[in-house]
Amino acid sequence: MIGLIVRRLLQLPVIVLVIYTLTLTLAWAIPGDPLNNDEGRQPPAAVKERMLAQYNLDSFWTFYFSYLSNATGVDYVADRLDGTIAADWASAEALGVAPRERLVFNLGPSLSYEDWTVNEIIVSALPVSATLGIVAILIALVVGVGAGVIGAVKPNSFADISTLAVALIGISLPSFVTGTVLLLAFSVWVPIFPVAGWGTVDRIILPAVALSLPFAAYIARLTRMGMIETLGADYIRTARAKGASEQTVIVKHALKNAFLPVLSFLGPATALAMTGSFIVERVFSIPGLGEHFVNAVQTKDLFLIIGVVLVFATMLIVFNLIVDVLYRWVDPRIEQ
Amino acid sequence: MVKLAAPLLALVLLAALTVFTDRPLPPADFNFINGTGVTTIDPQRMSWMPDMRLCRALFEPLVRNDVFTPGFDIIPGVAESWEVSDDGLTYTFHLRDDARWSNGEPVTAPQFVYSWRRALLPDTAADYTALFQLIAGSQEFFDWRSAALDAYVEQPVKNRAAAEQLWQDTLAKFDEMVALDAPDDRTLVVSLYEPTPFFLDLAAFATFSPVYPPLVSQYETVDAETGVLRLETGWTKPPLIVSNGAFQLERWRFKRDMYLTKNPHYWDADAIAIDSIYAPVVSDPNAQVLAFETGSVDWVTDLAVSYRADMYAQKLAFYREHQAEYDRLKASGMDHMEIDRHLPSDPRKNIHAGPAFATYWYNFNCLEKLPDGRVNPFHDPQVRRAFAMAVNKETIVKDIKRTGEPVASTMIPPGSIGGYVSPRGLPFDPERARAELAAAGYPDPSQFPTVELLFNKDSGHDLIAQSLARDWQENLGVKTRLAQKELKVYKDDLKKANYMTSRAGWYGDYGDPTTFLEVNRTGDGNNDRKYSNPVFDDLLDQAKLELDPAKRMAILSEAERILVEEDLPLIPIYHYVQMYLFDADKVSGVTPHPRTNQNLFLIDILGDSKGPDVSRRMPTPAHKPGSTDEGQEP
Repeated sequence: MIGLIVRRLLQLPVIVLVIYTLTLTLAWAIPGDPLNNDEGRQPPAAVKERMLAQYNLDSFWTFYFSYLSNATGVDYVADRLDGTIAADWASAEALGVAPRERLVFNLGPSLSYEDWTVNEIIVSALPVSATLGIVAILIALVVGVGAGVIGAVKPNSFADISTLAVALIGISLPSFVTGTVLLLAFSVWVPIFPVAGWGTVDRIILPAVALSLPFAAYIARLTRMGMIETLGADYIRTARAKGASEQTVIVKHALKNAFLPVLSFLGPATALAMTGSFIVERVFSIPGLGEHFVNAVQTKDLFLIIGVVLVFATMLIVFNLIVDVLYRWVDPRIEQ
Repeated sequence: MVKLAAPLLALVLLAALTVFTDRPLPPADFNFINGTGVTTIDPQRMSWMPDMRLCRALFEPLVRNDVFTPGFDIIPGVAESWEVSDDGLTYTFHLRDDARWSNGEPVTAPQFVYSWRRALLPDTAADYTALFQLIAGSQEFFDWRSAALDAYVEQPVKNRAAAEQLWQDTLAKFDEMVALDAPDDRTLVVSLYEPTPFFLDLAAFATFSPVYPPLVSQYETVDAETGVLRLETGWTKPPLIVSNGAFQLERWRFKRDMYLTKNPHYWDADAIAIDSIYAPVVSDPNAQVLAFETGSVDWVTDLAVSYRADMYAQKLAFYREHQAEYDRLKASGMDHMEIDRHLPSDPRKNIHAGPAFATYWYNFNCLEKLPDGRVNPFHDPQVRRAFAMAVNKETIVKDIKRTGEPVASTMIPPGSIGGYVSPRGLPFDPERARAELAAAGYPDPSQFPTVELLFNKDSGHDLIAQSLARDWQENLGVKTRLAQKELKVYKDDLKKANYMTSRAGWYGDYGDPTTFLEVNRTGDGNNDRKYSNPVFDDLLDQAKLELDPAKRMAILSEAERILVEEDLPLIPIYHYVQMYLFDADKVSGVTPHPRTNQNLFLIDILGDSKGPDVSRRMPTPAHKPGSTDEGQEP
């Protein structure tokens, strides 16, 4: 177990470096000028040149290495060692002002949100997306496992077919439809929830439900399949034979095994849900990370594209690792 | 199961704690959605409309526009008075004694020098640097600094001391080269290369606002490797930010909201009729409308929903129900928002479509050959005229846009600039168009090369392109091909002149015809048409030297006439409208002026017993427009 964790954590920087190189190469190839406004005024050529140079956007390799050295903290450590930071502190003290904050892992400035650094954007947006994502995954788990179990206990019953039908709708309907319908139904026609925004508990329910639907549907199908399979197994017959109640059989014996495929799905699903959904966040005006995956590409905001991709990649790797660890914990047979 | 749920629940609690530990702020007096949100509030670096709208609330430049006058008259801001030298080159501003920053410190002239210098440095390199480069010596300074930075990178010794030395030299050089001086704390003297009658209008522009040097300078550090002054933006966020306008920024959360409160130190604080402003970020257009309809915001500044044309049709239906009353009010010279206040209360009237200082047009590539080597038929002005007269703009406005846009035959929206008489432009005349095309050497239009129309794929540009293509096919008999591209690709093609015809648009920046005309000057950075006519360029140069305002306007009018009647480097299609959503019975202070510079400090909630509670309105244009831009002594 420890070996697995150490091995995976050692792989992580290598994978992230490869992803960084690929992402930057692709993002660099996006046609267009990252400093261009949509309808805006074009500055004189000399100004334009200086603007590109400000961000090292005039050379791929300068950008590649300067970004790496800033993001990995090399730049910070170097400044620390050669006394630049100490000198800054001294001069700030001499002026009687608070020293400028220096980031260790500096992901650079955003080109489209000029007053914000990528670090600030991620620090502000990731918890929002993460909260929404976790709530959505919890809803999906409860609803999905519940529906799956009901269906598996009485296959082809009305309850089974109706949950399957709902699951099918959940998977097929895009979230801009379900989100908008939820918004219309529960904010406009029956005004229970606020229309848009973030910051209070009642604002999380509708978007979390909208976000959870496809996950819930998939979990329901996984649970149902797993349950039908396990309910036919010999040990279940044994459990029933020894007189265990139906509830114990289903929850304690069958579900525990049937849950394994759901668990392996949960790793990537949680990473996906927590890094935000472009559509759900847009429909409900949630200040999460999701929209940056799309908008940053459209505006060719290089720093932001790389920042969000690296965060997503790291989370995906870490959550897969967590799931693998949990797997071994829940089902010790895998270790052998 | 419980074993699994426990860590998940712990995560939820942790995340929820970080998100929901809000400091609750009291409900604001005025709530509005500021377009798609603010990207920067550093005045010298901004170029977006929502940024500038906010900037005018937080910062105050030397002078302001009175946005409720037809001429957008200049009125005092931080400067209480000013003089212009007889040659029109030197402006002397006298700063008021009681101008204060939000921390109580006085606003001084050297702070303006500091702020404007930021805009003039190649290190800042901002979109609007060019507007500041009217100041004498500024272009030479820009070149000097650029060269000095290039030389610095080449030199062997690069360290903090060397970089710091270069910066000190730069400051000395700026004082020596650029004609921008503060002889004392309350006097600012600026000299220009040429007499620029709209300079005061520029001085009222958001990017000419001051920043607070003791704060901002901490975020400007000299980079030892490159010698460049690195600008960081940490200072723009509360609680650090210090501003000198009517409001101060209490809170700014990324992509979430902004909260502004009245600046108690503002010299004219008594005139402000609201104490606080809340601006949530709502990016989805449908959610914006919902937020307005459920009462959580009072004003949507840029109505972008796909069904806005239907909403506007509803409003026209509402007007028809009150036709007699509407006609009477209209005839009395009332502006369209004031008319709404005099009609019965009705949710349909909350949509407001007014003219904007902007034009939608189609570019012709004017180069002799296209970048791929093909001969370009649109190099010939006669061909361009033929194509311009073959476009039925009326259908585009009536059947596609459907939001009351005026059909355009000129670049500059007529009536938007006091004292300027717009040329007539060309009519829609398919017969004349065919004759022109035949005379240009294409008696058989099927011999004409296939015409390509370039446009970006959003905002309904496709429908307009289809309409144009059909007009050209039917009225001229030429073949057409639509080229729809991603915004960035489209922009790139425009800049490289890699197109035959393309959609484009332009928003004017300041109250002078040159804000539109200059983009057609030979070699201008925004001349995507690569149009070049020495006669036109010469007229622009003549206008620069002309001191008599009326004569100058006549010269510029002649220049525009060449563009829209003879040379047609572009086909004006329509003038934009700005669409707002607000209840005019409740909100006052939104100006109906075509220049659409909205000032939040003029907002008054009617009937809340704060402020005068009397609606602001445009005076009926009884006096002749044209008394604009001359420095009036208050």
